[in-house]
Amino acid sequence: MIRPALFIACMILGLTASAAQEEDHSKDLVTALSSDMVSIQSNFTGTEIVIFGQASDIDRRTSEPDDFQLAIVVEGPPQDITTRRKGRFLGVWVNREAERFQNVPSFYAVASTADIGQIAHRTILDEYSIGLHHINLAVSGVSNVPLSDRDDFRRAFIRLRQQMGLYSEREASIEFLTDTMFRTTIPLPANIPVGDYRVKSFLFNQGELISETEQTLAVAKIGFEQVTFELAQNYPLVYGVLAVVLAIFTGWLAGVIFKKD
Amino acid sequence: MQLYLPIAEIPVNIFVIFAMGGAVGFLSGLFGIGGGFLLTPLLIFSGIPPAVSVATVTTQVVASSASAVVTYLRRKAIDMKLATILLAGGVFGSLIGVILFDVLQSVGQLDLVISLSYVTFLGAIGGLMLFESVRAIRRRKSGAAPAARKPGQHNWIHGLPLKVRFRRSKLYVSVIPVVGLGAIIGFLGTILGIGGGFMMVPALIYLLRVPTNIVIGTSLFQILFTMAAATIFHAMGTKTVDIVLAMTLMIGGVIGAQFGARMGQNLRGDQLRLLLALLVLGVGLRFAVDLLLVPEDFYSIAIRKGAGS
Repeated sequence: MIRPALFIACMILGLTASAAQEEDHSKDLVTALSSDMVSIQSNFTGTEIVIFGQASDIDRRTSEPDDFQLAIVVEGPPQDITTRRKGRFLGVWVNREAERFQNVPSFYAVASTADIGQIAHRTILDEYSIGLHHINLAVSGVSNVPLSDRDDFRRAFIRLRQQMGLYSEREASIEFLTDTMFRTTIPLPANIPVGDYRVKSFLFNQGELISETEQTLAVAKIGFEQVTFELAQNYPLVYGVLAVVLAIFTGWLAGVIFKKD
Repeated sequence: MQLYLPIAEIPVNIFVIFAMGGAVGFLSGLFGIGGGFLLTPLLIFSGIPPAVSVATVTTQVVASSASAVVTYLRRKAIDMKLATILLAGGVFGSLIGVILFDVLQSVGQLDLVISLSYVTFLGAIGGLMLFESVRAIRRRKSGAAPAARKPGQHNWIHGLPLKVRFRRSKLYVSVIPVVGLGAIIGFLGTILGIGGGFMMVPALIYLLRVPTNIVIGTSLFQILFTMAAATIFHAMGTKTVDIVLAMTLMIGGVIGAQFGARMGQNLRGDQLRLLLALLVLGVGLRFAVDLLLVPEDFYSIAIRKGAGS
């Protein structure tokens, strides 16, 4: 499924890239996605999205190609997430301190041509949220976490999200097909949240951001999954009654079937 | 075969879930229990979010008790008046349960309360059952006749006001303990994802002194409707009832229950109770170990707002 999509995307990319060059010569970076929609059906077990691009000015500049670096960030819709830490209380392990991170991405994947730290200065990385350690993790005012432990909570948060496959940082994972054309694959695990994703690509030259692009990617449930989910969200009473009716019917049917033999 | 659950939002192996439903169904048929107290922990331990596990098992319990209620209705072994009053208490308890469930989830102590309740109730009930069944087996071996129920026996419960006559059960007791019992079981059932039959049946026999031939049908009838109410409350409140997961568990469960019931007829009652007691204690112990051992990871995260909360 990816391969024909790749081919078509390359074609489109070639066309748009040449069109862009005619209109606007300052445009250094063009990107395209293998698909702008990820649909979740009952057989969904995760997928991947391929991002292609062309950094057209790399070869025309006087500096060395190695001075150019790329970073591509895929970001899911924002969430508020509470991180909790267990502590012993009366001999039992219970959740004690909690820190609430607000408006953090529900999904975050970054691919780059080099180590994130080498791409640009950390103030730039922080500004554009490039790299796992540069995501803006804003905390809510109410928190019972001592200041000295706040970094532990940030690290634990990122680590847990990585374990779930929802946050990732893959350095040197952007592959160059020609001198200027590149490609990278971002895996989307089965537990990705639905919503509108943003795919942001950044082109750096000697630590300076010279061009960026942004695309959107929709992740949505379709078909039966969508109908069920929307029924449960929008008509919870109907959904609940339906669940009960189904259960009683199944139970009754079993009672009738197995009674005869 | 992997199947994506629309509400839990994770893919699961459908055959594993089906087999779990079947295995618990088998045990529930064997012991004449709902099996919620086994199924909920099993789902939680296999990676289904606790909130989804609890809410979905309430739906599964509706199916498994509906199948048995049909039989008891046919035999007319249900005290409808007693069941209705228990049910009124049960629905009330269930409503309180869903509200508390939501509160506990937002302060991050839901898992703790679920674990502590499992340890407490399974430990206590399992211990009592173990004690009782061992005594019964010993008594049978030594050949002594079991003490017959004395009709005039009374305890403090029979001194309460608002007395009502239950003709089918040949009882004349206050409605206060009946409503109270229904409410406690409904409340626990909603929070823990269990039907509560293993608590209801002994309570009806030992506290209210309902005749044993009426107890199971009445208890099942009340569980059926309390859990139906709990399903609807969960669907409206926590929105964590996963209909696909529930259907898979139900189908596995009702099939397993038939085989269990057939096998149960070949075992002695006191042996069955001993096995059940060990099973109940085992599940309680599993939760206790989790609470007491140093956790592998001190940190945990929970989505509060936005996509997927």
